[in-house]
Amino acid sequence: MKQSSQKAGVLLIAPSVLLICSLLVYPVLYGVWLSLFKKHSFFPDQRFVGIANYIYLMQDPDFWMSIWYGTVYSVSTIIFQIVIGIVAALIVNEAFKGRNFVRGVILFPYVIPTVVAIILWKWLLNNQFGLVNYLLMSIGIVEDPVSWMGKDHIMTSLILISIWEFFPFVVLSVLARMQTIPPVLYNAAKVDGAGPIRRFIHVTLPQLRNVLFVVILLRSIWMFTKFDTVWLLTQGGGAEKYIRTLPVYAYMRTFMYYQAGLGSALAVVMFIILIGSTTIYFKMFRREEEI
Amino acid sequence: MTPKNNFFSFRGQFIYWCAAILTVSTAFPFFWMVSTSFKPLLEIFVFPPNFLPDNFTLANFERLFEQTRFLTYFRNSVFVSLATVVLTITIGSAGAYSLTRFKFYGREKIASLILFTYMFAPIMIVIPFYVLIKKIGLANTHLALIMAYTAFCLPFSLWLLRAFFQSIPLALEMAALIDGASRWQAVIYVILPLALPGIIATSIFTFILAWNDYIFVRILITSDELKTLSVGIADLYNATVIDWGMIMSGSMLITVPVLIFFVFIQRYLIAGWGTGAMKG
Repeated sequence: MKQSSQKAGVLLIAPSVLLICSLLVYPVLYGVWLSLFKKHSFFPDQRFVGIANYIYLMQDPDFWMSIWYGTVYSVSTIIFQIVIGIVAALIVNEAFKGRNFVRGVILFPYVIPTVVAIILWKWLLNNQFGLVNYLLMSIGIVEDPVSWMGKDHIMTSLILISIWEFFPFVVLSVLARMQTIPPVLYNAAKVDGAGPIRRFIHVTLPQLRNVLFVVILLRSIWMFTKFDTVWLLTQGGGAEKYIRTLPVYAYMRTFMYYQAGLGSALAVVMFIILIGSTTIYFKMFRREEEI
Repeated sequence: MTPKNNFFSFRGQFIYWCAAILTVSTAFPFFWMVSTSFKPLLEIFVFPPNFLPDNFTLANFERLFEQTRFLTYFRNSVFVSLATVVLTITIGSAGAYSLTRFKFYGREKIASLILFTYMFAPIMIVIPFYVLIKKIGLANTHLALIMAYTAFCLPFSLWLLRAFFQSIPLALEMAALIDGASRWQAVIYVILPLALPGIIATSIFTFILAWNDYIFVRILITSDELKTLSVGIADLYNATVIDWGMIMSGSMLITVPVLIFFVFIQRYLIAGWGTGAMKG
């Protein structure tokens, strides 16, 4: 009985493990291998070059710019997503008429295809016919149309669009946790004379600590590796250079310059940065009882 | 159940205003999309803009169906996403059941491997994935897409389904076995019905991921008749003259049905969320 049940267990998990290993883990390892070659993206010819790709990157100013843009983009979007996400979760956790409707609507930006999100915002931010410029001009904040996709503002536009698209993830994660906080805690705090702000700091926040630990971790990883939002925003403008983050740069090297080896090296660098920063993050903030 | 906030109190006013701001800022771009998609070409570029179309028209939708392969893209998206859901849920449920109900060597290691791969982002694997797919001759097929999405959705599906299976008491299964049911019957008649909400939530997350994906289609698919909606719509935008009316009508058709669906099911999703679903 014991023996056969062990076998059944292994048999049931085998397809999952097989797929994950062959289609996720193996490609990542193969990518490390590829990064040691000079390889054309379409043709099979390849030449072993050792760490030449990495040495090239270290001296490549575009690479360092992509790290800088990537950091600016991910740090600023994460901070705003988390803050706006928590505030929004506090609001929709209150009881009011139409609450379910509001909760549903808040999800919208996160569940639509990124392509649609980008198209909507490119239309709203269009410098000639866009509604945003019209509204800003009619209430007198600006006199001339702002070139949202121009080199001075494209990073701001990208950050605003990304916050709009991804803050619902924070709302939902935090809301799911808030619903499990025992009301007794709030009543006790009230009896002790704590106002709403002190109740938030001393009751809500400590309860949210674990979920925020995970949410910040996941959002950081996903914002740092975000490709489609950034890439689609660069399409058709003249200012793509000013939001060329690390994922976009890796894609360009592989599929526009056809340097698959160099592209893989960029992906490996991304991976190393992620592993390094998550290790530091765990060391700094993880407590024994978590996860 | 806490009492509803009074609309006329200071606190109530504050909450209603905040909720209104939140709703408008998330929903307004969609309203603008719908409004634009029903405007005739000339009215789209009117300055100052009209909030609602003066001359309501369906011409944008007609152009969309006549001049593009919108329906083909739509069919491809539906096929690829559904195939991904079926595969992911079948493989994932079996795996999650195994992780919660059997003890075998290396089980905890497998669980940590799954959690680790949950953090992979598409851009990290897409380059080597593309080279490998080309090598085995599957480039430019739907099968390549389905494989990529299934592999990509499996870690979070397993994680989510495992949490749902863990919440079903073992005693129920034992009771069925003692009553003479086979293990297979116990799974079908006892476990699956109880795990159904979890399976539905996981299916929705998987479907959205496959439906919304851009990067894998862009890289793995080259022929126009195999493209899915994301890339199809993105290519409309990359045309030399941007037909905003047509693009908005296409965007509207692929989002509004999903959004209406979401308003109704959001409460089930919040339940699934607590266990850590969805990536992107």
